[in-house]
Formats: sequence, C-alpha cells, structure tokens
Amino acid sequence: MIKRIIARLDIKNNFLVKGMHLEGLRILGYPEFFAEKYFEENVDEIIFQDVVASLYKRNQLSSLTNKISKNIFVPITVGGGIRNINDIKKALVNGADRVSINTAAVNDKKFIKESVELFGSSTITITIETLKVGEKYKVFTDSGRTETNIDTFDWIKEVQDMRVGEIILTSINNEGTGKGFDLDLYKKASTICKISLLAHGGTRNLEDVYKLFLNTDIDGVVVASAFHFNYYKELLNKKEILLQGSTDFLKNKDKKNIFFFGIQDLKKYLKSKNINIR
Amino acid sequence: MKKPLVGIIDMSTNNILSIKRALEYIGFEAIIINEQINVEKFDLLVLPGVGAYHEAMKKLRDTKLILLIEQALNKNKNFLGICLGMQLLFEESEEFGFTKGIGFFKGKVKNFNKFNVEKQTFIGWNRIKFETKQLLIQEKSIEKDLQNSAFYFVHSLFVNCENKEIEAGASFNGDLNFSSIVKKDKVIAFQFHPEKSGNSGLILLKNLFENLLQ
Repeated sequence: MIKRIIARLDIKNNFLVKGMHLEGLRILGYPEFFAEKYFEENVDEIIFQDVVASLYKRNQLSSLTNKISKNIFVPITVGGGIRNINDIKKALVNGADRVSINTAAVNDKKFIKESVELFGSSTITITIETLKVGEKYKVFTDSGRTETNIDTFDWIKEVQDMRVGEIILTSINNEGTGKGFDLDLYKKASTICKISLLAHGGTRNLEDVYKLFLNTDIDGVVVASAFHFNYYKELLNKKEILLQGSTDFLKNKDKKNIFFFGIQDLKKYLKSKNINIR
Repeated sequence: MKKPLVGIIDMSTNNILSIKRALEYIGFEAIIINEQINVEKFDLLVLPGVGAYHEAMKKLRDTKLILLIEQALNKNKNFLGICLGMQLLFEESEEFGFTKGIGFFKGKVKNFNKFNVEKQTFIGWNRIKFETKQLLIQEKSIEKDLQNSAFYFVHSLFVNCENKEIEAGASFNGDLNFSSIVKKDKVIAFQFHPEKSGNSGLILLKNLFENLLQ
C-alpha cells in the first residue's frame, strides 16, 4: 500500500500554532497559507486540529475549515472538540472529508458507534494521545492534558471493535521535540491494529520517517513542525502574513531542537529508498 | 462562453463542498440540489457520497431525490457517481445488512472483510488500471499521467461490476481486484474521490467532461 505523508496544522484562535509535548503553543502564522503551500508541494492529506477546542468545550473550526480548504484538493481531516453528530455534519459541510475524535471517544462510546453507523467507518478517525509512564503507555485526552487509566494498546483494540476507519497515534513524549519516533510504540501498535494507523510525534529528519516505514506497519506519517519550519521563511515573505507571536526562535534555524525538511524532499528521499510513495 | 451547469445531489451527510469546488475549478457552474427539480437544464448531475448505504438510500427515498436520479438516468443525462454514489447505482449492498440500491448497474456491493485484502477499510491512495479508450481520453501524455498516478480512495465496501465491458478502471486491495471506474454511455461512476486526488483527479475530471460535453 502507498504510504501517506500527512501535514498536521494545529489551530488556536484561527492561527497556526506549534508546541512541544502538545503544550507551550507558539503562533506561526495563518493556516490557509501553509495549507495551500502543502497542497502545491504534493502532500497526501492535511489535518486541521483545534488544539484547545476540547479543553474549552467548543467547536469553532468549521468556518475556518471552510476558508482554508478552498483550494485544497486532497483529503482534509478536522479534529478538536467534535462531540456530537451535529459537529460532524458541520465539519463535513464545511470542507472536511473526515473527522478525528479523541476526548469524546473516551467519554462517550455510544457517540462513536452512532457516528460510524451514520457516516460510515471511513469518515471516523480516532486520535489517541499516549504518554509513556514507566513501562506503560497511557491514554490522555484534551490535547494531552487529562490522564485516563486506559492502556493504549487495549484502547486501540477497543476502538477497532467500534469499526472506526483509522487511528492516529500521537506520542506525547516525543511530540514537537524532534527526538525521532518511538519505534517500539509504533511496532507494537501496528501489529495489533488491523485498520489504518498513522504515526504522529517526533519527526526529526528524513531518515526517521524511512526507519518508521521500514520497521513498522504504519500506513502514514503525520508531520507538523518539520514542515512548518521548512516553509515558514518563504511564507513569511508573503505580505499578508502578519505574525503576532514569537517566532524569533525560528530565525536561527541551526538552533538545537529545530528540525525541518520539505514535503518534496521527504518524498524524493523515500522513493530513493524504495518506499511506495505517491 | 456560458459555463456548463452541474447539479450536485445533497444527501446532507456528504462532502459536497469539496466536489462543488473541484467542479467549479475545472470550469463548471455548480448548484446544490436538495429537492426534486427538473433535471433538464443540467449538463451534468453528480451523486456524491460519504456515509452509510442504508442511510443514503433512505434519505434519497424520503426526499424523493431518487425520482430525480431515475429521471436523469432515463433521459441519458451526463451522470457521475462518486464513492458511495457509485455504489448506490448498483443493485444492492451488504453494508450493515442488505439494502436495495438504485440498480442502474448490475452487481452487488460487498464488504472487504470477507476477502483476502490488505485493508478492510481502505483509506489512502491507490493506482488504477485505466481503460482510457472507454473514457474517451486519447492524448498519450494524459493517458500516461493517469496510469502512473495514484487516486484517493476511502471505502470498506466495493463492487465488481458483472459486465466487464463497462469497467473503465480496476484496482487492487491486496489480492482482490475491484472496479474503480464503471462507465456506460453517459453514466460514469468512480469508487475513488477525484475531487480529493490532487492534480491527477482534476486532470481526469477535466478531460472526461471536455469530451462528454462536446
């Protein structure tokens, strides 16, 4: 199967933001410019994630999705604060192709079953945020803020039984750190998981992604920081982008912890390593 | 020049906005249809779809949009079914029990989970073996481009159309070969999402309808 390269845009108050371990969010710019750039660069899919929606019990992403998705002709998954059938309808009507659900899935399993029946398996993606505590992987909700007692691998099985189409597995330990992927996590998860499974959290360089595909049965990789930081300078030259936030940390790109590469670079590299890529 | 007019049939559980934008992008004027109206003025009708088969059929019956679809098919209108919209054009589906479909094409919609497939719910990009002649695509460079491209599929069900003469494209999920494009006269159906298949999807739509609308 063709491995998917997916860009994730974390959104807070209509801005593209990026944090570390799902926290410490910095504003990077307007998401629509990044999304359009990623489409031009041949990305396979884009995820918009409202990173504070669930915490504040709201769902504001629809109008923004409508605007951002205008010139994007690849699939769009929208997540963050989706907690009822109407939220899903709203997302789909505004340009989303699929929705991703985390917190509401843990709190309300009946809602997931209903959604699958109404919209079909393939419309429903479950995001699992996991933190390694000692030797155990535990499920977190509310963008990594709330700990549950659920074991990640048990949850993968349970979610699968609810007949959802896909799982995005985020490693909170590695997210935004550029540490590389937690290969043990993804190896074990992809052995258990029979449905589509995507890895998110920790991309450092091209080789990391290659190793992920080589050593695990992961179907796709979700990249945020590495793409944002790569295109950030170029997009900054667009006059329309007015930045409110502190992005000085990016100006000195050789600083530690700042890793970046382009979508085309990644695809070319993976192709050269015989990974099946679009 | 007046733009050709496309009517997109709205079942309220599907991604009509994406389809509308893609068709506008390739030069159509697009109208969303959610009640029964005369199909005469449309150059093309689109039956899109994400969602569950039985819900979609129920919706089409409740809203009487089914009559509009049957009218368009009887009058030999240009008609495009996408994903679930393709499956609805077949006789019946086994998604969550059996549901009767529109029955324009012969064949049953089946679940991947009973076959030797790579993914029971396929979400992602897949290649298509095109019968470009059937699709009226003659230009060699476009043909080559399409045969080498990947297209975006999301489905847990599939059809294998009984009449292979109308199969204009086929794909694999693991060892299982299924119909990814079916075309009979002016009625065409895609299992994949051309509106979400990057530039290749737009190129395919543009070429197909340039030829059909001539």
